[in-house]
Amino acid sequence: MKRDYYEDVQLFKSGVVLFWTSALLILLFTFPLYAPNYYIYLLNIIMVHMILAVGLNILAGSTGQISLGHAGFFAIGAYGTAMLMSTFHIPFLLAIVIAAFVAAFFGFILGLPALRLEGPYLAIASLGFGLTIMHIIGAMEIFGGRMGMKTPPLDLGIEQIGLSLPVTNDLQKYYLILVIAIIMVVGAVNILKTRVGRSFVAIRDSDIAAEVIGVNLTIYKTLAFAVSAFYAGIAGGLFGFILGFFDPFTFNMILSIMFLVMVVVGGLGTVSGSIMGATLITYLQYDLFKNIAEVPYFGKFMLYISDKWFTTVGLENFSSMAIGLIMIGIIIFEPLGMFGVWIRFKKYWMTWPF
Amino acid sequence: MGSKKFFVTMVALVALLSLTALSSAANPPGFDDNEIRIGQWGPQTGPAAPWGSVARGSKLLFDIVNEEGGINGRKIKYFIRDDMYNPAQTSAVVKELVERQGVFAFVGGVGAACGMAVKDYLSKNKIVWVGPSAADDNFIEPLDPYLFAVYPLYNDEGSILAKYIVEKLKSTKIAMLYQNDAYGKDGLEGAKKRLATYKMQFVAEIPVEPTEKDLGSQILRLKNSGAETVMMFVGPTTAVIALKTSANVGFKPQWVSSNTLSDYPLMFKITGGLWEGVITGAFGEIPSSTTNKYMVKYREAAKRFAPQERWGTFYLAGLLFADPIVDALKRAGRNLSTESLLKALNSVKGHQTIGPPVTWTEKQHQGTDSVMIQKCGPNGSYIDLQGWTKNDLATWNK
Repeated sequence: MKRDYYEDVQLFKSGVVLFWTSALLILLFTFPLYAPNYYIYLLNIIMVHMILAVGLNILAGSTGQISLGHAGFFAIGAYGTAMLMSTFHIPFLLAIVIAAFVAAFFGFILGLPALRLEGPYLAIASLGFGLTIMHIIGAMEIFGGRMGMKTPPLDLGIEQIGLSLPVTNDLQKYYLILVIAIIMVVGAVNILKTRVGRSFVAIRDSDIAAEVIGVNLTIYKTLAFAVSAFYAGIAGGLFGFILGFFDPFTFNMILSIMFLVMVVVGGLGTVSGSIMGATLITYLQYDLFKNIAEVPYFGKFMLYISDKWFTTVGLENFSSMAIGLIMIGIIIFEPLGMFGVWIRFKKYWMTWPF
Repeated sequence: MGSKKFFVTMVALVALLSLTALSSAANPPGFDDNEIRIGQWGPQTGPAAPWGSVARGSKLLFDIVNEEGGINGRKIKYFIRDDMYNPAQTSAVVKELVERQGVFAFVGGVGAACGMAVKDYLSKNKIVWVGPSAADDNFIEPLDPYLFAVYPLYNDEGSILAKYIVEKLKSTKIAMLYQNDAYGKDGLEGAKKRLATYKMQFVAEIPVEPTEKDLGSQILRLKNSGAETVMMFVGPTTAVIALKTSANVGFKPQWVSSNTLSDYPLMFKITGGLWEGVITGAFGEIPSSTTNKYMVKYREAAKRFAPQERWGTFYLAGLLFADPIVDALKRAGRNLSTESLLKALNSVKGHQTIGPPVTWTEKQHQGTDSVMIQKCGPNGSYIDLQGWTKNDLATWNK
């Protein structure tokens, strides 16, 4: 039972939450000790998607504004960070923040039409934005055009004062991304608990009512876009360095859709939902579905099905179908997504064994 | 609550676990006594899915090899991974294959960007990569000891096509329509260099963005230049629009295109028959060839192993890109190692089946400078115009 406001806004609601959070953090920080290197790369991608999904959820889940253009902000983050570092020799940590602010600025711009557009119309506008960014970058030679660009060596030090802290392998990147991901997640939790976060939720529930009680729609709607784009920018900056090389079509429309899938599957409007969604979808897409043919028994069964019923590319289509089915299943049976499943699970065990 | 005590115990436990746990660093070996594991990435789904047949074509080759008893007593286990033409996924699938499945070598691999994303990783892990199905100067320059390229460079192809136009077609008014990226510009550069040797110039050089859907002004400029022959280094969509627009304005030059558009049945279909008469470069023998014994053998095998596949250019590309590694593996002998494979690959000389003659040395890993020239006949059939032609102006092999 909550007795005052400060109990509502504290980060850890109870000792149990604190305990499990610490356990998770310890697990994450020691993970490379017991996982093969391949999983480190996968986890890096997962954490980057997580940062983006958390940001997208602030927009789509908490404020109720749909966006199909987040690959665009993602691209701005990736290109911005790499450009600032290689051309202007700005240290990484500063470069990624500047790039994220550039993304946030574009988010603000995209937020302006959102003042008048809703639902599918906004989805179309944001979709257009995502596609346009991809083509604009592709047409500009300074960004490497269609041939893409290589990221400069990742160095956390400051070149100008001779401090060098190179980050070269997947493992070092893992710790870098982990720290940034934790900061971003805690940031998102905090935003949602402040006046700003509550205004977002009020807009989602009813924008007219929100306006009546004194929420400035112009400021808060564009702010939601900017915050969300900022998250995508940070994620993009990190993503570029995981890859080491990217071209404009890396940031295509499918990617934007997958981001939205992560948020919906995870659970709209919750931070932990975005984390779960990003983890599950990335794992499925990058790992399990790629190896489906080698899964014992089930793989054989799927191969048989695919030879009998599917086209030549057969089994490969399974990935898209399965993700589509998961989406449909979530919407029909569990509108709160994985977060909803988690809540039910928690409730069940709360009274166990009675 | 007693959770503090529990908490401390857990921390101690995890700390202990992390101290004792050993991280396994070495990758599993790429082969054993019974099998050699070979992988390929390629877009089976997503925007570039039509090129996915390259990876499936290689499968046919390995099926044939396995049916004949494998290589020195080892069967080939072949992995195809769908990367949806997305470099992030290419990295993921390649790392997974190398670090979890234990792959000895990669073949093919569609997409310059996808290849660039994993190139450094592969050579750092000493994984051999043969026949990327993309032409990119970064693949051969600087030399990567583990990467062996088969695909002819666009620069060479531009030069060879220009020579053909001048000497065989006796055309004097030549124009060029090129995609505004490395692909188009390389072709343009090669062709211009060739024309310079005849003291000739293009009557028009017109760039086009790959995403442009209205080519009205470009085609009008080509028409006004009085060009009899138009070379094009563009994507399939652009080519279709260019031909249809030209037909509408009554402009009928001889079109000459790069090998990327040499899938005639497909091009014939999507241009509504306008592709007939177009001359293109080609990186492989014509699919319906009855004189090339390898082509006949592969075609027969495809009827048994992959009856559902269309016997098209890109499917064949998968065979010919992977072909040299089979030859090299055979010569590397039963006592296989990465070093012995590299040695065998570095001594491939004039190896040829259904593709260009491939030669690699320790200092030169671009396998060929040759293309064929073919023409699209009625109903998308293939007509041979000129056999394997070298580019005597190539600079990379000097």
